[in-house]
Amino acid sequence: MMKYFKILLLVMLAFASCQNRSGSTKQKKIAIIVSTLNNPWFVFLAQTAAARAKTLGYESKIFDSQNNTALETDHFENAIADGYNAILFNPTDANGSVVNVQKAKKAGVPVFCMDREVNSPDATSQIFSDSYSGCVSLAKDFVQTLNKKGNYVELLGLVADNNTWARSKGFHSLVDYYPGLKMVAQQSADFDRNKGLEVMESILQAHPNIDAVFAGNDAMAMGAYQALVAAGKADHVKVFGFDGAEDAIQAIKDKKVSATAMQFPKVIAQTAADDADAYFKGKRDFPKKLPVAVELVTYDNVNDYIAYGKK
Amino acid sequence: MMKKAIKYILAIILVLFIASNSIYFKKLSDVKAYAAKQFDAAKYARNYLTTQLIPAADKAPQADELLALLKSSPDTAFKTYSHGLDIGNIRFFMVQGQGTVTAVDENDIYILTKNKQALKIAIEYVFGNALRDAPGLININDFTNTMDLNNIAAEVDKIVRAEVLPPIKSKVKTGDKLTFAGAFELNQEHINLDKIEVIPVVLKIDK
Repeated sequence: MMKYFKILLLVMLAFASCQNRSGSTKQKKIAIIVSTLNNPWFVFLAQTAAARAKTLGYESKIFDSQNNTALETDHFENAIADGYNAILFNPTDANGSVVNVQKAKKAGVPVFCMDREVNSPDATSQIFSDSYSGCVSLAKDFVQTLNKKGNYVELLGLVADNNTWARSKGFHSLVDYYPGLKMVAQQSADFDRNKGLEVMESILQAHPNIDAVFAGNDAMAMGAYQALVAAGKADHVKVFGFDGAEDAIQAIKDKKVSATAMQFPKVIAQTAADDADAYFKGKRDFPKKLPVAVELVTYDNVNDYIAYGKK
Repeated sequence: MMKKAIKYILAIILVLFIASNSIYFKKLSDVKAYAAKQFDAAKYARNYLTTQLIPAADKAPQADELLALLKSSPDTAFKTYSHGLDIGNIRFFMVQGQGTVTAVDENDIYILTKNKQALKIAIEYVFGNALRDAPGLININDFTNTMDLNNIAAEVDKIVRAEVLPPIKSKVKTGDKLTFAGAFELNQEHINLDKIEVIPVVLKIDK
C-alpha cells in the first residue's frame, strides 16, 4: 500500500513540476529593440509590439537604438545579459546589425525582425513591408499623375537600409520605362523630416523647375512639402511619400500630397509578437521572410484609410 | 645608425605584410563561374512562364463565373481562387475568357464578356506581381533573397510587354472579339470590381 502511495506521490510531483514549467512561460520577457523612436512610425511599431506582448502575458521593454549600431549592440548585450527570452528587432543597418542577430542566436535567443531586414539567415523570421511592390503601385500612379513627362527629385532614406533600396528599385522598375520623366536629383535625407526639408531646400536652389518629388517615406515627403511651400512651389509640384503616416494621410485629404503607400505596422508588430509566443510554445518552422502587402493611398481612396492601417 | 636601419626594415616588412594581406587575386574564370551561379531571374521567368504560368492560365476560371462569384460570395471567391506571396489584403486571381472590344485607349482595352461583364485588359502598365503570384505556384521559402522574387515579377512582365502586347496593340479596334487569359489584383478588404485590370499572358484577336 505504502509502495502505491509513493508512486502516486511521485506522479503528483511530476505533474506539479509540469505545471510550474507551463506557468513559467508567463514569466518570459521580450525585448523590443527599435532603430529610432524619433519617428512616430517606429514609436507605433514598438508600442504595438509591446501591447501585443502584454496581451500574450509577457513582460517587455522597448530599447531605442537612435539609428546607431553601436548603441544597438549595447542593447543586444544588455537584453541577453538581463535574460530576455526573445527579441523583436527593428534593425538600424541591414549589414551592421547582422553581428547583433548572430550574438542573440549564439545565446539561444530568437530574433524576429520587424519592418526592416538584416542580410543574414540567423534571424528566426523577418516580417517586413513589401516595399518594392508598394513602390511599383506608387510609381504607376506617379507616371499617370505626371502624364508620363516632367522633372522629378528622389529623396532616399538611410543608405544602409534595405528598405531604402527596395523602395527606390520598385519605383524605378516602372518609372524608368518613361523617358519623358527625368530625375534631376537623387539624395539621401535619412528618412528624417528635418533633413527632408534641408535637402529639398538645397535641391531647389540648383533645380528650381521640378514637377514632382518621390520620397522614400512620409517624414521626408512632409519635409519636402514644407520646403516647396517656402519656395512658393507647393501648388505645382506633386509630392509622393511612403508609410501611411498620420500627417501624410491628412495631407492627401487636403490635396497637399498626391499619394503614399500604406504600410501596416500593426500587422508586422503583432505577427512578430505572436511568433515569439509560438516560439516559446515550441514552434520552430517559421518562414525566413514574410512580406506584408503595402497599399496605394490617393485622394480617391483616402477615406478608406486611417494612419498606419485601414479603417 | 644601425638601430634606425633595423627600424626602417621592420617598418617596410610590416607594410609589406599588411599590403599582401589586403590584396588577393582570383582567377577571372573563377569570378565568372561565381557570377554564373547567381540567380538568373530572366531565365527563371522564361521557364516559369512556359511551364507554369501558361498551363495555369489554361485552367483559370472563366471571367463570367469568377466575377459572378466575386459579387455573390466574395469570401468563397477569395478562398477558392486567390493567391499571394504577401500576407495582407492584396490578393491575385487567374482568369480567362472571351469578349468584345468596346473601346481602346493608350492604357487599356475595354471589353464586354459574353454575360455583359465589363473588364479592362492592360496594354500599357504591365507591371507588378499579378502574373507571379496569381497561380500560387511559387514558394517564398525557396528564395533567400527577396530581390530575386521582385526580379522574377519584373522579368515575367517584361516578356509580356515584349511578346504578348505588340501584335495586339497595333491591330486591336472596337468590335473585335478577343480571347484572353491573365491575372488581376483585388483588395479583399475593399473590393472594387469596377477597377479590375487584367494583366494578360495570353491575348488574341479571334478571326
